[in-house]
Amino acid sequence: MISCQAFRENLRPGTTDAAVLEHLRKCDACLDWAVRIDPDNFYRAIGGEEMVPPGGIDAFTEGVMTQVHLRQAEAPAIRRFLIPPRRLAAAAAVTAIIGVAALMLDRGPKPRAPVHTPAAAAVQPVALTTKPVVETYQSKNATIVEMPSEGPHDPKVVMIFDDSLPADL
Amino acid sequence: MAAVLRLMIPTNESIEPDDRELVRTIRNGDASAFEQLVRRKTSKVYSLCCRIIGNTEDAKDVAQLAFIKLWENLGKYDPAYAFDTWLYRIVTNVAIDFMRNKQSRENAVNSNLRLVRTSTDPEQGVVIQRKEIENVFQAVSTVLSPKQKTIFVMREMDDLPSAEIARILGCRESTVRNHLFNARKMMQQQLKKRFPEYSRLWKEQP
Repeated sequence: MISCQAFRENLRPGTTDAAVLEHLRKCDACLDWAVRIDPDNFYRAIGGEEMVPPGGIDAFTEGVMTQVHLRQAEAPAIRRFLIPPRRLAAAAAVTAIIGVAALMLDRGPKPRAPVHTPAAAAVQPVALTTKPVVETYQSKNATIVEMPSEGPHDPKVVMIFDDSLPADL
Repeated sequence: MAAVLRLMIPTNESIEPDDRELVRTIRNGDASAFEQLVRRKTSKVYSLCCRIIGNTEDAKDVAQLAFIKLWENLGKYDPAYAFDTWLYRIVTNVAIDFMRNKQSRENAVNSNLRLVRTSTDPEQGVVIQRKEIENVFQAVSTVLSPKQKTIFVMREMDDLPSAEIARILGCRESTVRNHLFNARKMMQQQLKKRFPEYSRLWKEQP
């Protein structure tokens, strides 16, 4: 330990000099002097010392290690019950897919009770298709029937019956 | 030749693995290395807990809990940083949590202490006793928040520089200095109010 004189010469506010602090914490006369010149030294006087827990370091360490071993023993048991995150994610994905599929099936066509609807609404709409345009047509076996029109603005309808024409024309 | 021989003699330093090396061994599954680490750090950790908590039994429990947390989180330690900084971070977190939970009860205990102490005649001369300073500190520090008290203890009693405290607590150095400034001011006021015989010591300086 440094001398009292060296301590008093080297004491500075907020010093971290280990030798100075050691002297402050061990010499009563210098503590009294140091506190009078800097109140912060009052609390610094109780620092530095390394304390030992009640029962000693061995008992303390034993206590910690007992807890550690207990937790080590518990960990595999807990792991058996806990699902790892990847498995959990996969299971969640499968559940989600099954759920969505079930929902889709649930919204699909269901057998319904017969409902009385007006005849017009019951008629199924006919799918429209584009047919080839016939610009010229010549045939000796065709039968042409012209529908009578009811006025000058009425469209003129002509029906052609010919077995040689394609069926879907 | 003597120098060569001296170099070949193993010293304690070369036998004892450093903290990082111990952590590596523990991570490889050697629990006995953790026991070695606990033995090595017990005094430091317990002393810090004792000063923050102010009660030996509670400090022991907090220190044990801190070591268990250390064991559980050892995988997260980055060897690029000083081990003690990381250890202190765990210890201070556990201690601050404990203080926050028990603060109201401690305040009640310390208010009784104040009643006992104020009966001392402030006019009498006082000889500073270290044990008495510990009691005074625990009494007046009740006005501090757990974080303020932790910072004060680390700076004034564990002699840690502000920069290191900032690293431990994960805050700015200026924040540490602010906490220290406020803590000193609040404790000074408390000391004047509750222990005038001590505050008189430096009030009377020329």
